[in-house]
Amino acid sequence: MTRAPRPFRLFLLALCLALTGASVAAEPAPPTATVEKLHATLLEMMKEGASLGYAGRVERVGPVLDDTFNFETIGRVVTGRHWKTLAAEKRKAFLDTFRKLSTATYADNFSSFDGEAFKTLGEEIKKGASLVRTQIVKSDGGTVSLNYVLNKTGEEWRIVNVIADGVSDLALKRSEYGAVIGKDGIDALIAKLEAKIASYAANNK
Amino acid sequence: MQNASIKRGLLALGIAVLSTGCASTDGAKPDPTDPWERPNRAFYNFNDAIDRNFFTPVAKGYVKVAPQPVRTGVTKFFDNVGYINVIANDLLQAKFGDFASDTGRFVVNSTVGIGGLFDPATGLGMPAHDEDLGQTLGKWGAGEGRYMVLPLMGPSSIRDVPGVGSSLLLNPLTYLNAVVTIPLGALNAINVRANLLEASNIRDQAALDPYTFVREAYRQQREFKIYDGNPPTDSIDDYIDSEDAEAASDDAAVLKVY
Repeated sequence: MTRAPRPFRLFLLALCLALTGASVAAEPAPPTATVEKLHATLLEMMKEGASLGYAGRVERVGPVLDDTFNFETIGRVVTGRHWKTLAAEKRKAFLDTFRKLSTATYADNFSSFDGEAFKTLGEEIKKGASLVRTQIVKSDGGTVSLNYVLNKTGEEWRIVNVIADGVSDLALKRSEYGAVIGKDGIDALIAKLEAKIASYAANNK
Repeated sequence: MQNASIKRGLLALGIAVLSTGCASTDGAKPDPTDPWERPNRAFYNFNDAIDRNFFTPVAKGYVKVAPQPVRTGVTKFFDNVGYINVIANDLLQAKFGDFASDTGRFVVNSTVGIGGLFDPATGLGMPAHDEDLGQTLGKWGAGEGRYMVLPLMGPSSIRDVPGVGSSLLLNPLTYLNAVVTIPLGALNAINVRANLLEASNIRDQAALDPYTFVREAYRQQREFKIYDGNPPTDSIDDYIDSEDAEAASDDAAVLKVY
């Protein structure tokens, strides 16, 4: 009679099932959740734009970008073939500046509300990458297509590219950044990006 | 006759651009995807100077005097009068459903919509499409060809240049008396520029090198339009493969991600 009494075994079985169930429920959020989290923040920033002010919007969006974007991958792609040649501290300096620039760009562009809405149209998953299709619907009914490419970073889906009306942000930056690094080096690129950040701040004074 | 003279003009332009391109090669390494970069940059700067000194201030003034509903009407009018070009290219791309819907759209908006000033057709289930000859050529497999910046007209490519001529030929305004065509053309140019003020602001804020920025944005947007906003999904795979193999990060396929 070393076996556990029957009710106890049932209880163990139930516990196992519950735990399995819990692990299913804790599965990573889908890619659309990442995009919608970003969109919800952008909408808040637009609606509260004036009261937050530029500095407030920077503060609001920065942590959300950290949660929703994979800056490491983006940094690697936009610097292209130069990434391999960059020392660790240069990579870090570039990524820090790049993150600040992204934050500044969002804080500058999403500053006022005029009846816009974000609409998620659907997602496709292929070989570990995801394309989430969305659009901004303006109050006059006009739309701007906004598609996101996400890849899986650990257990989470993170944005690696934003395509606005067919124009890939990653491709655009890669062309420009590659040209600057090739001609003048990474420090020149970082200086130019710092100047952009300063001009966003100055525009919002 | 007009067709022939446009073709001759384009040929002459092509030769002019080509010869400048050959004449000037100094130490700077040209972008391999843009062999005509030097003449293109010259035209870009030329256009930009005219734009900043003339079109932008005029467009800003126009936005101040003409309220949004007026500008929307103007935009709709010119979209509609140029819509025969869309209809023709629906047919050339064998999009028969769009062809029927766009023909209906043109008829409804030209009549009920008072010469295209209003757009009742969208509400009736006939939405606007965006087609042109360059997209048709792209759909049937023609590559982009070399990137070109056209004087006064801006970014284009070998594949898109014929469409500049054909859209003019398919625009009824082309055949009206110059007394009508010229002022209407000027209004269209100013209105188009006004609609682009936001885009050029973004360019001015975001671009490190506006020439490259505009070139890449143009290329991608054309590709997007050729596929009607739904480029093939296998390009996502290209992206992932390139991501995995660091050596492949030079592969332009990385950027074909939509």
